[in-house]
Amino acid sequence: MNILTLIKISWRNVWRNKLRSFVVILSVIFGLVGGIIMIAMSYGLNEERMNNAVETYLSHIQIHNKSFSEEYNIKHTIDNLEGIENAIENDSRVVSYSKRIILNGMLSNSNGSYGIQVKGVDPVQEVKVTNTYEKIIEGEYFKSKRDNTILIGKKLADRLNLKIKSKVVITFQDENYELTSLLYRVEGIFRSGNSRYDEANVFVKNISIAKNLPNFSGYHEIPMLLTDIDLRGDLKNDLIPYSSDNIVEGWDDISKDLAYANEMLAAVLYIFMMIILSGLSFGIVNTMLMAILERRKEIGMLMSIGMSRFKIFLMISFETMFLSIVALPIGLIISYSIVEYYSVVGIDLSIVEAGLENFGVGTRLYFKVPNQEYFIVAIMVFVISIISSIFPSVRALKINPVEATKTI
Amino acid sequence: MIETKNLSKIYNPGKFEVNAVDNISTLFKEGEFTSVVGPSGSGKTTFLNCVGGLDQPTSGEVIISGENITELSGSKIINYRLNNIGFVFQAYNLIPVLSAKENIEMIMLLQGVDENNRISRTNELLNQVGLYEMRNRRPSQLSGGQQQRVAVARALASKPKFILADEPTANLDSKSTSNLLDIMSQLNEAENITFIFSTHDQRVIDRARRVVTLEDGKIINDNKK
Repeated sequence: MNILTLIKISWRNVWRNKLRSFVVILSVIFGLVGGIIMIAMSYGLNEERMNNAVETYLSHIQIHNKSFSEEYNIKHTIDNLEGIENAIENDSRVVSYSKRIILNGMLSNSNGSYGIQVKGVDPVQEVKVTNTYEKIIEGEYFKSKRDNTILIGKKLADRLNLKIKSKVVITFQDENYELTSLLYRVEGIFRSGNSRYDEANVFVKNISIAKNLPNFSGYHEIPMLLTDIDLRGDLKNDLIPYSSDNIVEGWDDISKDLAYANEMLAAVLYIFMMIILSGLSFGIVNTMLMAILERRKEIGMLMSIGMSRFKIFLMISFETMFLSIVALPIGLIISYSIVEYYSVVGIDLSIVEAGLENFGVGTRLYFKVPNQEYFIVAIMVFVISIISSIFPSVRALKINPVEATKTI
Repeated sequence: MIETKNLSKIYNPGKFEVNAVDNISTLFKEGEFTSVVGPSGSGKTTFLNCVGGLDQPTSGEVIISGENITELSGSKIINYRLNNIGFVFQAYNLIPVLSAKENIEMIMLLQGVDENNRISRTNELLNQVGLYEMRNRRPSQLSGGQQQRVAVARALASKPKFILADEPTANLDSKSTSNLLDIMSQLNEAENITFIFSTHDQRVIDRARRVVTLEDGKIINDNKK
């Protein structure tokens, strides 16, 4: 008996009890769709969080002076700035870049103080590397002719009860470790979608810092966006030789928790998927055991007339596998359709806006499933179906043909 | 030729022993048409199970064409059954998802018979049992008598040395029984195949050319007509 005949018999056996097989197949489909939607939401959430971080404050690559990254004294500016700028401008992989002065200090008003990081930026250059200007919810993005205007986050504004045109004082240590204060007026309030970022970061024009610190020159941070986020590794290596005093980091070096979450996500999702599929496999095993119980006589007859144990094992294994394998393409097609739809339309999660903002994402979640995940899930279903088939098949082999057929 | 030598089958040895088959020695010659009869519990089925290699006797030998099949185990006995013994079951035991033709063909697929021979043998058997026109019907679309005729054709498909049939007419009405016995009788004569039945059915006993009567696992009578 060739394998095709065995497959044919197994396939027909699956459809002997249509309702039962249909229910099992349906449960596998639901499990599969549920699992893939979970993957889609998790990837969507994580990508949203990553994109938000990259577009708002991380960029693809940042350059700092090594010492500045360690002690945050403003005297540690980027070394060989001119050489680096030339290299960046002539590199086709770089879409845009900016230069920032970074001050770590306190922002105060009559209501209190709060520790913040001040980003002194060139408003024209900055819009090419950050989307903060799109996130202004009150006031404007550096439209004022004044130099001493400031953009603050919504969370900080709420905390210190700041409004447009409110006056604030920023206090920080200058290059001589002496406290220096600068007065600013609020020009805009932004809401990035990451409340922790909004609470601790403000933007000012870099010219306002330069004017008040006549002995200071240079920049502390060069953020840049690339044509492709995956090019960051190569570009980092190309920029490192320009100065040994600088440190060139990708977004994943700067925000290790975000990168770690990305790596961990896949592993965690596979574990969840395995749990879902394992649960489903018990249903499949149960169904097959019932089918074998019902067909004891027939299996006994097959053994009697000379069907080898191996072929009986294969026949039952194929039947078990068919239940999963039939469900697999249907489940994948349904999942793919749902994921594609919600990857464009997104799901409105404004009901949990506060929580999402703390997590660093917006209120609309767009599904995402990398194509290889479908392949991996398909492999997982296949493996689970093979494992599920072993127990019923072994059980079938234990049937005693004499007892099963009662008579010869 | 089938020979049993001191064949015994004891259930629950050492505890509440039941001598289902008790030291039976007998011979079935090629082409015989034999009924094994006896009351319920007399050991007919166990005797045939041992002769067919389905059950391992406690002691004694079953020698078929010079080969002691009680010494075969595992895949060897399965292969032996496949190529040498045809079985007809009381409850037909056809595979419900296969058509009549496919049920007959299946045993030849197990044997690895090539397609041309398989098809011609299947058609020949379907004609012999008078079911060629119904070859594509599944068992559920056939009557009990028709199903048992398919079962007989299936048993013959492997060209066995002999056929063991346990109560083949037990579930059939008199017309179907008569029809089935005619077919088996014709096949016995045409192909010289040995048939051994266990039965209570007087109609089968009447048609048999030899009647072996068992009681308490022993042969108490052996009549040749």
